[in-house]
Amino acid sequence: MARLGSRGVSGPIPASAGIGFRSVHHHALDAERPAVGWIEAHTENYFHEGGAAGRALERARANYPLSLHGVGLGLGSAEGVDREHLTRVKHAIARFEPALVSEHACWGRAGGEFFNDLLPLPYTDEAVELLARQVGEAQDFLGVQLLIENVSAYVTFEHSPLKEWEFLSAVSANSGCGLLLDVNNVYVSSKNLGFDAQAFIDGLPPGRVGEIHLAGHAQSGALLIDDHGSQVCEAVWELYRYAVNRFGALPTLIEWDTHIPALSTLVAESRRADVILGEVRGLAA
Amino acid sequence: MASLREMQGAFAAALRDPSVACAVLPPENLSVYRNNSAVSFRMALESSFPVVRRRVGDDYFRQLSVQYRERYPSRSGDLHWIGRDFPAFLLEELHGSEYAWLADLARLEWSRAQAAIAKVETSLPADVLGRFAADQLERLVFGLQPSLRLVASDFPIFSVWLANQHENASPVDQSLGSECGMVRMRSDVLEVRPLEAHLFSYLCALQAGAPLGEAVSAAGLDQTTLVSALGFVFTEGLVSSLR
Repeated sequence: MARLGSRGVSGPIPASAGIGFRSVHHHALDAERPAVGWIEAHTENYFHEGGAAGRALERARANYPLSLHGVGLGLGSAEGVDREHLTRVKHAIARFEPALVSEHACWGRAGGEFFNDLLPLPYTDEAVELLARQVGEAQDFLGVQLLIENVSAYVTFEHSPLKEWEFLSAVSANSGCGLLLDVNNVYVSSKNLGFDAQAFIDGLPPGRVGEIHLAGHAQSGALLIDDHGSQVCEAVWELYRYAVNRFGALPTLIEWDTHIPALSTLVAESRRADVILGEVRGLAA
Repeated sequence: MASLREMQGAFAAALRDPSVACAVLPPENLSVYRNNSAVSFRMALESSFPVVRRRVGDDYFRQLSVQYRERYPSRSGDLHWIGRDFPAFLLEELHGSEYAWLADLARLEWSRAQAAIAKVETSLPADVLGRFAADQLERLVFGLQPSLRLVASDFPIFSVWLANQHENASPVDQSLGSECGMVRMRSDVLEVRPLEAHLFSYLCALQAGAPLGEAVSAAGLDQTTLVSALGFVFTEGLVSSLR
């Protein structure tokens, strides 16, 4: 049961649907207080002590459990993790007291340049070792377990002997991190790179997945682009149902980051996820 | 077999230069990543410099973003910092040209971006001055709000900024000449405001840590302007500490 803590609603994120916390919805979320289970905010948007965004999140935090989702650490960067960035994540955790903290299985910088994108890793033993080590160090520094998310991919490395799900399972086992399963990313990558999306789900260890993401994508020629700019498609809903049947009811986020619609549209999408979670709970009861 | 560091270095090189080979399949899909990072960079720049973008137009702003990124690539995983060197870049590009004012306009907009994330402290009311004897007043040092940014230019950049809060605004007459002013956050609203020169000098001195008496002298305030300048910092909520 969630309770009101020093920063607002505390306790674990419920196994229900949540929505992304976006600036265009700050006022509506305050005024309408829709019945969504929780909210997720991009950690980097709350790195600074001042600013209207931080104060808006503090207000929202009083009403909803919070997950902080990072996009900029690049934990798989062979050049290492930016300590200053990590310190800012730690400050954000102390300020907002999130119930979940997540990042991505990716890298982001080389030669001192940050690409500000979620770049893919080769699925090798060396990359398992590096990502697991840097995730472990980040967890020790932050004092929380991280959930690590699979990213959408448009290329594979010529030398990449492991399957992506083998890679993620090994990183989780070696670092102690949980996994954030982005079902849309699985679908997008499976179509772009030609693998079986259900095999991906089947290949992840039950008990390690702590959160699910759902989002829309766009078609660009033969490629699917993970743009978080539309409703979740039917094929992704079906894959979500398959995942929930395997992993059980889990906190599920509706992500919508471009062409952001009215808050009511996000809430309607979250209701659909809640229906599926309810059906799975009913079957399990 | 290439190491992970070598693979990432080759990937990065291929993102910077499409003619560089990289051991991925299919290589043509690298364009998605190339486009993603360029668009993220440009959108972050547009977010910090909306009026520069309006004045130069989308096409030239896109071109500037590409050139700026080549010279000043992102050095942070936090997109907020992407614009840090943009005013300096524009100065390098435009110094001596008829568009040199764009560098100062960018400096104003970067001040605004910085003010937006600065801590806001509780403002002190003017009656705190009553705690001090008259002969102590000139030695008082005011702590000003951390979000306060003071900007001066040889060009009318405040007029340009204020006139361009919507698309397709008419150009501002550059013969209006130099302007100075302040940027600060108040009640979750960013304020951009031109100031008279004496008030600007007074605020600059106070912000630099000068005691009140020195700030008044530095700004050349007379008895009349002193009263209004002293009142200004309190009525505008700019003073957050006194010592």
